[in-house]
Amino acid sequence: MTDFTYLPDEGLVDALIMEIADLLRRLIEHGEAGSTVLLRLPLSPSRLTLDHCLGQGEIAVLLDAAGRSTIRETSFPGVWWTTHADDTGRVIAMLIEVAFVPHIVRADIDDVARGCQRLPGATNAARRARRTVA
Amino acid sequence: MDDRETMTETLCAMLARRGFGRRSLLQFAIAMTSSLALPPSVAPVMAANLAKAKRRSVIWLSFQECTGCLETLLRSSSPTIDSLIFDFISLDYQEALMAAAGDAAERTLREAVAANKGQYLLAIDGSIPIKDGGVYSLTGGRSNVEMLAEIATNARAVLAIGTCAAYGGIPKAYPNPTGAVGVDDLVSGKPIVNIPGCPPVPEVLSGVLVHFISFGRLPDLDDRKRPLAYFGTTIHDQCYRRPFYDQGKFAKSFDDAGARQGWCLFELGCKGPTTHNACASLKWNGGASFPIESGHGCLGCSEPDFWDAGGFYTPLAGGSPPGWRNAGIAAAVGVAAGAAAALAARGRAASARHKAGPSPEETP
Repeated sequence: MTDFTYLPDEGLVDALIMEIADLLRRLIEHGEAGSTVLLRLPLSPSRLTLDHCLGQGEIAVLLDAAGRSTIRETSFPGVWWTTHADDTGRVIAMLIEVAFVPHIVRADIDDVARGCQRLPGATNAARRARRTVA
Repeated sequence: MDDRETMTETLCAMLARRGFGRRSLLQFAIAMTSSLALPPSVAPVMAANLAKAKRRSVIWLSFQECTGCLETLLRSSSPTIDSLIFDFISLDYQEALMAAAGDAAERTLREAVAANKGQYLLAIDGSIPIKDGGVYSLTGGRSNVEMLAEIATNARAVLAIGTCAAYGGIPKAYPNPTGAVGVDDLVSGKPIVNIPGCPPVPEVLSGVLVHFISFGRLPDLDDRKRPLAYFGTTIHDQCYRRPFYDQGKFAKSFDDAGARQGWCLFELGCKGPTTHNACASLKWNGGASFPIESGHGCLGCSEPDFWDAGGFYTPLAGGSPPGWRNAGIAAAVGVAAGAAAALAARGRAASARHKAGPSPEETP
């Protein structure tokens, strides 16, 4: 039994690379972010071909909200491989985002305002927590 | 917080109360737009709409069914059905899940219909038997036909969940002793969404519900009233084995070298080319796999009358079922009669393969 000599999704990966290149051009020329969804494309189960083509970049962001997400830059600056998982760890979305910073990483103004209100009480809250533990 | 307050609280307020921020909602919206095949740019709009949305009442009636659809949906993810129940919908009546029984259950149903008249979504699983006055399936002494007619009248829309509710399914299979039919055969004048599958892909129901809650309307449907986002293409078109079909590389028997290398299962009876569903992209069991990825052809379970559409192992193009049966017999004989007989059987199998054409190992 030999390994794959031909990866069946090579043709699709070629098309995806061209789409990503087009999104990058739009980002450079118009500052317009874009993305393409991977999860529902008939890529090979491991998505190895695309992963090998894009490679690993310098930054990875871990998001721990309703589920855990990883947002890692590929070896092509501005091209991000984003994987969202639910609270059981199941991957629920996988996409390539082309942006200077992915939209979900930026803090929302309302969230920032709520945090700003909470901040002055942070030391008292921490003291209360310490006392409870003690 | 009581039930009435929970129903009027927006999702955004509820998430904030639980300590979740905008990112949680955006994370969820990205997953749902991805599932619904909407452009990723729609995710922020969906998140904003969901933030303002209130919970929707859902009444779920089970008719002539095996509870497989509900079992599957309870094990769904993205989002899990329990989070849907608590976050997006108010599941006001479901016989298998609710604590109430008997008269109390009947009262619950009447109250839910009265309180949400014209606004609730009606979910149905199971076919409806109409032969002999519908006597083959009754709940609280009332036939399924009678209940469907009454409850559908005041529903905003009807969701037919599973192949039985959509098209009659296995109960309708020849000779159809109970006169089973699907919801669409009986209900008129209401929007109907068919979510076929035996069982259906759970994420399709989640997607339909979230689309309805966030945009206030049902998703686009095809001519069989199935959501286009999930049923717009065939399994074959989304299958990772499809390039091998295009190259004419077909597995000749289960677990031969070609099958293990991902070659197309068309000649083993796969019904993917004529079956519309999202199994190949959304997959099953937490995204682990789907039948074709696990080495078995598609049965076509989301298509009407799939049970009567010929053998599961007969190729769509016609001809004989696959050679695995002969190989299996050969192996059994080999075990029983010893190594010499096994070698002879393998020899016969190899000879048969040569008659049928070169095996994948022999193909250059």
